[in-house]
Amino acid sequence: MEKYWNKEIECASRAKMKKLQDERLVAQVKHVYENVKYYRDLMDKKGVKPEDIKGTEDLHKLPFLSKADLREAYPYGLLAKPLSECVRIHSTSGTTGKRVVAFYTQNDVDMWDECCARAITAAGGTEDDVVQVAYGYGLFTGGMGLHGGSHKVGCLTLPMSSGNTERQIQFMQDLEATILCCTPSYAAYIGETIHDMGLSPDDLKLKAGIFGAEPWTEEMRRSIEKSLGIKAFDIYGLTESSGPGVAFECSEQSGMHINEDNFIPEIIDPDTGEVLPEGEVGELVFTSITKEAFPLLRYRTRDLCVLSRKKCSCGRTLIKMAKPMGRSDDMMIIRGVNVFPSQIETVLIEQGYSPNYLIEVDRVNNTDTLDISVEMNPDKFSDKVKDVQKEERALAGAMKDMLGINPKVHLVSPKSIARSEGKAVRVIDRRKLHD
Amino acid sequence: MSNVRQISVFVDNKPNQLAGVMKMIKECKINVRALSLADTSDFGIVRMIVNDTDKAVEKLKAASYAVTVTEVVAISIPDTPGQLSRVLDILGNRNVNLEYLYTFLGKSDRSVSFVIRVDDIENASVALNDGGIIQLTENDIAEM
Ligand SMILES: [Zn+2]
Repeated sequence: MEKYWNKEIECASRAKMKKLQDERLVAQVKHVYENVKYYRDLMDKKGVKPEDIKGTEDLHKLPFLSKADLREAYPYGLLAKPLSECVRIHSTSGTTGKRVVAFYTQNDVDMWDECCARAITAAGGTEDDVVQVAYGYGLFTGGMGLHGGSHKVGCLTLPMSSGNTERQIQFMQDLEATILCCTPSYAAYIGETIHDMGLSPDDLKLKAGIFGAEPWTEEMRRSIEKSLGIKAFDIYGLTESSGPGVAFECSEQSGMHINEDNFIPEIIDPDTGEVLPEGEVGELVFTSITKEAFPLLRYRTRDLCVLSRKKCSCGRTLIKMAKPMGRSDDMMIIRGVNVFPSQIETVLIEQGYSPNYLIEVDRVNNTDTLDISVEMNPDKFSDKVKDVQKEERALAGAMKDMLGINPKVHLVSPKSIARSEGKAVRVIDRRKLHD
Repeated sequence: MSNVRQISVFVDNKPNQLAGVMKMIKECKINVRALSLADTSDFGIVRMIVNDTDKAVEKLKAASYAVTVTEVVAISIPDTPGQLSRVLDILGNRNVNLEYLYTFLGKSDRSVSFVIRVDDIENASVALNDGGIIQLTENDIAEM
């Protein structure tokens, strides 16, 4: 039996949901126009007044916000409430340029907790569950988000944060954790460590995992499910829009239901900005219609994906987004061909290798080079040099079939590529150094 | 049959990789009788014969090395000209392909010992026996 946290919303009729969205959108546009000068200027420049927005069908009239706007408006330019009403901030990792800082009122935190509570319930969580939160706590939204959702559902919450993997596993065993929340790469690492410690999934009580904050493939899902003996659920979110919980997966495991009562999604052509019809691949854009302190209208996520209103077997009517094919930021253009790290991950898992890999891109004599380091699978190791080289060529061949370009594959020692406890760094692009 | 087990370890082509493997073996008080390193620009394969194969494999695997055990032939021949070529002829005449060979560490005045990796070990062993070549057993090696 499928369980819902908020059945009235999660299974609402389309008409009821649209009415709710229309009301909230109209109020939100007014709130933003009145309180955020930065966005008011953008609307004025485009000649749009709050009165022009009467419902979701007028959404396309509003200007977009991009990450560049967030950096430019840093730190208070997009704040829509006085600081005295704000209770918390979170921030992106900000590897390039300025950080993005997002503000939350108490209502914003409550809404976020509600979204995560829906995700935990959809993964089978109830007040009888023990939720181990192994996302990082702190400025990163992962830890606090699932922590809040777990509290709300009434689960026993283990605020582990990431790292100290053997201790994680000990708590998992001793306190009989049933649901694990962390990044997929850390889940894979925990699975590997459990195996190395001579334990098996039978020694644990885990039944489900909620994994997000980085792109991961269907192959990786199956591999984590096997190594931890669980059902693995995807969760989506970004700091700019609150954090994890913007969308979550149900028992069908075929895309994530978007919490439409708080976030209206659109898919646009990333080049023209034109809204694309349902079912077409494009850039995901979100409008938050309930956030008070940091309400982003038409925020471009740079994630490429597809939306679907197909009926879901779980009974939820919330629109579904497919697993993003990759963030347009993650996409590399190598010798003119688009390459996503997720494609490389797919090949590695299919060929029986660890999804822990490192991609190095460089430019030599005006030609892009693609080198992929892959950890040797001890079961495939032969004492003959030519056999190992044959294996490298076979892997390179499988990658060429997937990517359309020929990479150089280097087998390296098992466990020699650094493991990640948070978001994994998979790509080093040295071409920028030459530009 | 007097086949001998050889341990192969995958190492990266970076400084100190071989040293790391040898240090580990030494710490376990295991003696290495024969050793070779085959390397390419990318990776290397350390091959060795030790006095306690099971223990060495267990320790290396526990330290996350990729390890494989292969059966090889170990022979002892007089240290005089033409002896190795005679061995190769014996194998060649029976159509046994040689993958690689290397010598044991240290030698007596009169003989030299080799590790020989072939594609057809049964055939090679019989051929060497027929040709009067002395083959070493794991016991012989443990007592070296
Ligand atoms: Zn569903």
